[in-house]
Amino acid sequence: MHAHLDPSPPPRLARLRPAVFPVLVLGLLEAWARTIGHGSDAIAPPTAAIEALAGAMRDGSLLRGTAFTLGAAALGLVLGSLPGIAIGTVLGLSRRATAASFLSVELFRPIPSVALIPLAMLAFGFGLGMEVSVVAFATFWPMLILSQAAARQVEPGWLEVARALQLGRADRLTKVVLPAMVPRLFVALRLGVAIALVVAVTVEIAANPNGMGYAMMIAQQSLEPALMLAWLFWIGVVGYAVNAATLAMQRRVAARMGEVSK
Amino acid sequence: MTDKVLEFEQVAIRLGGREILSPTSLAVGHGEFVCVIGPSGCGKTTLLRAAAGFVTPSGGTVRRNGRAVTGPSREVAFVFQDYGRALLPWRTVRGNVSLALEAARAEPLARAARIEQVLRTVGLSDHCDRFPAQLSGGMQQRVQIARCLAQQPTLMMMDEPFGALDAMTREALQDELARLAAEQGLTVMFVTHDLEEAIYLGDRVIALRASPSHGQPSLAAILDVPIPRPRSQLETKEHPDFLRLRRELYRYLGHA
Repeated sequence: MHAHLDPSPPPRLARLRPAVFPVLVLGLLEAWARTIGHGSDAIAPPTAAIEALAGAMRDGSLLRGTAFTLGAAALGLVLGSLPGIAIGTVLGLSRRATAASFLSVELFRPIPSVALIPLAMLAFGFGLGMEVSVVAFATFWPMLILSQAAARQVEPGWLEVARALQLGRADRLTKVVLPAMVPRLFVALRLGVAIALVVAVTVEIAANPNGMGYAMMIAQQSLEPALMLAWLFWIGVVGYAVNAATLAMQRRVAARMGEVSK
Repeated sequence: MTDKVLEFEQVAIRLGGREILSPTSLAVGHGEFVCVIGPSGCGKTTLLRAAAGFVTPSGGTVRRNGRAVTGPSREVAFVFQDYGRALLPWRTVRGNVSLALEAARAEPLARAARIEQVLRTVGLSDHCDRFPAQLSGGMQQRVQIARCLAQQPTLMMMDEPFGALDAMTREALQDELARLAAEQGLTVMFVTHDLEEAIYLGDRVIALRASPSHGQPSLAAILDVPIPRPRSQLETKEHPDFLRLRRELYRYLGHA
């Protein structure tokens, strides 16, 4: 009579299932923007946004903005996390250093990084230096706190092995302590990457006339909702890609460091 | 006494205000295999750690080759009970053994040859590029023993090294260790809570009591094990001396 019903849908269709909801939302948005919401200053049809994105891609503004924001975020992250990891490691290894630095850390750490924009603007003017400095400040603290915890939580057994083998100070640091910290440092790095990107875009929206955040602001101020939405979408894509890249790097390093994957 | 590798002279240890070990004197001769046994909390691991220089006794002195022990030394190899916390998981088998040689600043060429040699000794030549997590518990403990052998120690301190392994693996490793110690002329101090393991492996067994706080000294007995070597799991454990010692030790430890 009737055909045999397969309990599970064919795999290729099943893989599309997570896309159903976003596509539905986009379709509704498109319909709404083309009918009731026609001429809105905030919402443009998704197709118009895609067109605007393609336009930004063609004239090079997309590449320029993305490169500036990513470059500033990366540079700030490096400048913030290298001293953060170094100082955090020292503090984590020495109780005396922790006690001595406690007040300074607790005084400076709670300052919201974006509150430093005026100061950074005075010191560096508009441009890369100011954005990098704010990103560096914002990423320095979490990197410091997390590497401090990472250094403190190094398996005592491994430190005892270093003692038993009479490993020198430098060897102990580079061959035992730092490798032991790597998994926790990656957690810190993933957090740092997210913070760097958010702060970079925030600085561009608030003050710096460069990058993706500024381009989105300009699109909004010149009443181009399609272009603004295109940038918003693109910032999401970039954030996703950066996070995926960090995750991939973390997995590679973990595999090289003997972590057996399931 | 120059043939004594290790001498304990009225060694007492207090940790955090609690007496762990009451004044204890004993000596370990060159090439001797001494097992230390006692219920948990009796201070047997602490005694071993004091001998290795990890813990400073609160009273008395530990002497190694006639000199007072002030800290760890590369001459003393320490096999930790928990291999998971003793092997570096990010280093391969080869890398873990190499660490001992890197610490001793051995030449890279000599290092590679020495690693091959000790891994062959413990039967891990085929696994040198694997990570600890890819190995069984018994194999991981073998890696730790290989790392200790690479140190070319005069003294091997072992803290319940086979305690976490299953019975079959444990017996196999006991036989391997006995063979190694005989071949290499190692002096071994071996802590265990397993009576049979202590008698099977030891030339002498040192029995410690649970709590020195009741006025009794930590040292309960020192017993010679006159069973000839090489020993075997089946015959040795049926040897009249084995049974006698087992009975005696049981009395000392369980119901003294």
